[in-house]
Amino acid sequence: MPSGSIPILKIGPTLLASIQIDLHDTVVDAFQNDILLEIEKSGSRGLIIDISALESVDSYVARALANTAKMAKLMGTETVIVGMRPAVAATLVRMGYYMSGVRTALSLQEGLELQAELLKAAESE
Amino acid sequence: MELGIQPDYMKILKLDEDEVKRRFDFFELTADDFSRLTQLKSFADSCTHEITEGLYELIMAHPESRAFFPDGATLSRVKRMQNAYFLHLFSGTYDLNYVRDRLRVGAAHERIGMPPKLYLGAYRRYLALIHERLLVHFKGSEAEASKALATIRKIIFFDMALAFDTYIAAYLETMTRHQAAIRELSTPVIKVYDRILLLPIVGTVDTQRANQIMETVLVQVVEQQARVIIIDIAGVPVVDTKVADHILQTTAAVQLLGAQTVLTGISASVARTVIQLGVELTRVETRAKLSEGIEVALSIVGKKIASKKPKKESDDED
Repeated sequence: MPSGSIPILKIGPTLLASIQIDLHDTVVDAFQNDILLEIEKSGSRGLIIDISALESVDSYVARALANTAKMAKLMGTETVIVGMRPAVAATLVRMGYYMSGVRTALSLQEGLELQAELLKAAESE
Repeated sequence: MELGIQPDYMKILKLDEDEVKRRFDFFELTADDFSRLTQLKSFADSCTHEITEGLYELIMAHPESRAFFPDGATLSRVKRMQNAYFLHLFSGTYDLNYVRDRLRVGAAHERIGMPPKLYLGAYRRYLALIHERLLVHFKGSEAEASKALATIRKIIFFDMALAFDTYIAAYLETMTRHQAAIRELSTPVIKVYDRILLLPIVGTVDTQRANQIMETVLVQVVEQQARVIIIDIAGVPVVDTKVADHILQTTAAVQLLGAQTVLTGISASVARTVIQLGVELTRVETRAKLSEGIEVALSIVGKKIASKKPKKESDDED
């Protein structure tokens, strides 16, 4: 059951989660769980996580987000993380955490476009 | 020099009551000295003109120092100031205002570019002149004269220290300002095309600059919603592991934002060093020339450069 602190919206074939609160370890664990359950339930092919409201991200949260993307991928869902702030990106790479393998986009709009491209590419295969 | 407010040297040099007291202590300026100075006021009044004239005799005799006083008006003005300065030594109040006044004198000399050697040299003559006048004043009583001179020397050295602190502070101030200007100029992010930015890096990259480059790049990418940033390192003289590492970090951070980096300006020698150092630059799109980098960037945003008139020879397309 969704713990509900971060709403997950379904827009067409894509799920959208916009994180507007501080991510504590427990919140991020619950969030990961919610996302995966929602993917299972809805069968969505795409997931967009909007972190534009996050002013700081620690390595635990970064890893959890990256892992969520990998888990979603295992379930056949492509994840795009959008709207990362410059300061957050700088902190992550300085910690040596490059989040390799995670797709990113500058804005929600771009994330949706990238998601559409990915879906199209997947369908044409 | 430039217009605007003079820097507050009192603040820069941390000259508060305590600091002034510590200075008085170090120069061994005691209450006795201050009262002796006050008693010498009539002496000062009687000979200030002569001393000033004597001082400027030296200054005007040498072309290097004469150059600072190009005309009669300037000369008579500075002489007036010199008289006031001298009398101020015996004014009887030695407080923060006195110190502030001394700093002003130092700052004025620094501003006109008076080199310290002339400043100090003139002071030497100044003390000699004072000594002469003191001997006359005390009618040959060496003991009295040298007591008075010792006191005057203390206050004059105290003044000189303040003037020199101002000199140094002013130089440091200028240097800091220049550094800031250079920093600002060192990361010019240029918009090459819609959603394509270019950052040419010229000069050596140290950690501080690398951090600043990363910050500027990230902020600009988000602000201008750029898809690609081209970093051109043709102007970086030495690309070592550290520089390569900084570039990799910046590239990774740009990717986190959802944009891409294209690294250009990789010369033969840079390519050689990078590989010899064992640095992995494979995760970055790299090109030798900036023009090629621009083509890569354009293709990322779904554009390309094409000839205006299609010719028979094939275009750049392979």
